[in-house]
Amino acid sequence: MMTQLLLFNVTNGLIIGAFYVLMALGLSLILNLSNVINFAHGGFLVIGGYIAYALAPYVGFWGALLLAPPLTAIIGLAVERVLIRPLYGRDPLYSLLLTFGLAFMIEDGTRFIFGPQGKPFAIPPFLAQPLSNDLFFITGYRLFMVAVVVIAIALLFLLLRYTRLGIRIRAGTLDLETVAALGINVRMLRSLNFAVGIFLAGLSGVLAAGQLGLEPTMGTGLLMPSFIAIIVGGIGSLPGTLAGGLLIGVASGVTAVFFPAASEAVIYVLMAVILLARPRGLFGEEGMLT
Amino acid sequence: MTTHMFNSRFDRRTLLKGAAALGAFQVTSPFIIAARGETPIRMGMVDPLTGVYAAPAGNEVMGAKLAVARINAQGGILGRQVELLVEDSANDVGTGVQKARKLIERDQVNFIIGDVNSGIAAAIAQVTAEKKILHIVSGGHTDSITGKDCKWNVFRVCNTTRMEANSVSNVLFNKYGKKWHFITPDYAFGHTLYDACTDDLKKLGGTVTGNELTPLGTTDFSAYLIKARAANPDVMILLVQGSDMINCLKQVVQFGLDKQIHVAGTQQELESLAALPPEARIGVWMFEWYWKQPGVPGVEKFVADIRKVNNGNVPTARHWFGYTSAMTFALVANQEKTTDAVKLATALENFELPDDVKLQPNKVYYRKGDHQLMTSAFIGEAQSKGKDDPEDLYRVDEVVPGDKTAPAVSETGCKVQWPS
Repeated sequence: MMTQLLLFNVTNGLIIGAFYVLMALGLSLILNLSNVINFAHGGFLVIGGYIAYALAPYVGFWGALLLAPPLTAIIGLAVERVLIRPLYGRDPLYSLLLTFGLAFMIEDGTRFIFGPQGKPFAIPPFLAQPLSNDLFFITGYRLFMVAVVVIAIALLFLLLRYTRLGIRIRAGTLDLETVAALGINVRMLRSLNFAVGIFLAGLSGVLAAGQLGLEPTMGTGLLMPSFIAIIVGGIGSLPGTLAGGLLIGVASGVTAVFFPAASEAVIYVLMAVILLARPRGLFGEEGMLT
Repeated sequence: MTTHMFNSRFDRRTLLKGAAALGAFQVTSPFIIAARGETPIRMGMVDPLTGVYAAPAGNEVMGAKLAVARINAQGGILGRQVELLVEDSANDVGTGVQKARKLIERDQVNFIIGDVNSGIAAAIAQVTAEKKILHIVSGGHTDSITGKDCKWNVFRVCNTTRMEANSVSNVLFNKYGKKWHFITPDYAFGHTLYDACTDDLKKLGGTVTGNELTPLGTTDFSAYLIKARAANPDVMILLVQGSDMINCLKQVVQFGLDKQIHVAGTQQELESLAALPPEARIGVWMFEWYWKQPGVPGVEKFVADIRKVNNGNVPTARHWFGYTSAMTFALVANQEKTTDAVKLATALENFELPDDVKLQPNKVYYRKGDHQLMTSAFIGEAQSKGKDDPEDLYRVDEVVPGDKTAPAVSETGCKVQWPS
C-alpha cells in the first residue's frame, strides 16, 4: 500500500516536474545568455494563457495552443527591444527590478482587462479522462502535457545543438565578448534568445490554463519552483535545469505522502542543502557564478 | 563600457535575493471614492485586492461602495457625506496592519472594514482595539475573532467557521456517509473550520480518515488527492477557498475522483463556482448569502444595483458582506446620533438589521456577548448550469437562521472587555 502510494507520488512528481522544467528552461535561456533574471516570466505565462483564452472561442483549443505561444513571444520581443535592451550593459539588478515591476504590471493589467475572477478554460473532452480508477492522477491531458514538454525540450536541444542560432547562443553563454568580436550581431542574438524563452513561457501558460484554469495571479505560484529548479540544477546548464525541475517535482510529491504541510517547504530545503554541498548546483559549471 | 557589458555577471546572492523578493510579490493600490462635503465621515476598508483572494475582496469593496452611494443619497451619516477609503492588504498580515494604521492615523477614518483573510482580520482587530475604532470584520471567518480574541469594538458580518460547519455537517453526514477526509488550507481559517467539522463529525459518530494541510495558493493538488483517495473515505471535504478551491475541485473532476468518492464541503462561493467548468460544479455546500431569493424584500433591487456596476453580473455573498458592513455603521450612527466608538459598539449589541440591509428571510442581528452577526446559512447543492440565469449556479434547499448554527455565547470563549 505504502509502496504504491510512493510510486504514485513519484510518477505524479515527475509530471509536475516536467511542467516546471518547461518554464525553467525559458528562464534559464534568458539568464544564461543575457544575465537577465526575468521575474516577469510568470507574467508572460499569464499572457500566454489569457491569449489562448481569448482565441479559443474562434480557433478552438488546438488553434489556441498553436497561436498563443508565438504571439506571446512577439510581445516578449517588443518588451525586450523597448525595456530590457537598454539595461544590458548595467548591473543585473537593474533588469531584475525592471522585470519585477513588469510582473506587477502584467498581473494588474490582466486583472484590469479580464477581471479578478478566475476563468475556466475548456480542454478537448477526450483529454479530460483519467487512465483508470487507480491511476486517476494520470489523465489524458497530463500525459499530453508531458508529451508537449518532451517535444519542446527535444526541439530546443536540437535548435541549440544543430542550428546556427543555437550554436551562437551556446557560444554566447560561454563567452559573449568573443562571439561579438567574431562579428556576430549580439543584439539580434539576445532578442531571438529572449523570444525563444518567452515562447516557452507562453506555451507553459496555455498548458497551465487547461490544467488549472486562468487567474491573474497564476504565474507567481508557478514561477518560484522554476527558479529553484534552475538553482538546484545549476546556473548555466540546461540539462541541469531539466534535472532540477524533475527533482523538485518528485521531492514535493514524496513529501506529500509523509508530511503534506511541508510539501511546499521541501523544495526550499532541497535548494539550501544542494547549495551548501555544491554551491554551483548539480550540473552548474564552475565560474558561472562570481 | 563594452567590457562592463560582458562582465556584468549576476552573482548567486543577487539571484537568491531576487527570489526572496518574489515571496513579497505585492502591489498597493489605494484609492478614494466619493469625496464630497467639507468634513466627511470616513470609512476605511482593508482587503486583499491582489493575491488569491482578489476576486472576493474586490466584490466586498464593490458592495461597500454601493452602500456608501446609498448612504450618501439618503443624507449621509449625521448629515455629513461619507467617503470610502480602500487599501490593499495584499493578503499579507504585515501589510494589512500597516494599511489599517495608515487609515486610522493619517486618514483619520471613523470606521474600519476588513479583511477577507482571517489572519489579517485578527491582526487588524488588535490595531482597531488599541486605537478605539469601531471595526467590522466583513469576510474573515476564523472563530477566535468573535471567540476567545473578541474585542469590544469588533463585530463580524460573515459566519464563524463553527457556524459554517454546524449548518451543513448533518446534511453531509446523512447524505454522504461517516468517513470523512479533509483537504484543509494551512492557516487560521482552515484550522478552525477543520476543528469545527471534526467536532461535529465526532458527535454524529463518524470518523476522520485524514487531513491534508495544503499551503495557501497551492496550484497542484494531485499529491494530496492521491493520498486522500488511498485512505478510502466516503466523502472528501474540501475546506480550501478562493483559487485553491477552484484548482482543487477542477483536479478532482479531471481525475474522475467525484465518480469514486463523494466530494463536498462547507463554505462555497459563487466566485469559485463561476470560475469552474460546468462538470466541476458539484457537491453539497453552504452559501453565506445567495442572490436568488424570490419574494424576499430588497433582494431584487440589490441585485439590480450591483448588476449595474458589475458588468451585468449578480452579487455574491461578498458583495453583501461589504454592503452590510458599511450600512451597519450608517444605521447605528444615525440612530445614536454620534460617532463615538464606545457608544456605537454598545448600541450594536443585539442590533437588528432592517429588511433592505439583511436581504434574507430570517431575523438577523449582532449578538450581544460575542458581536457575531446572526446571519443565515443557505444550504444546498451546486448546479452545473443555471436554469433561467447563467449565474444561477446553486440550488438553495434550506435557509437556516444564525441562531440555530451558532454555538451559545458561553461556548465561544468570548468575554468582551470594555474600555474603562
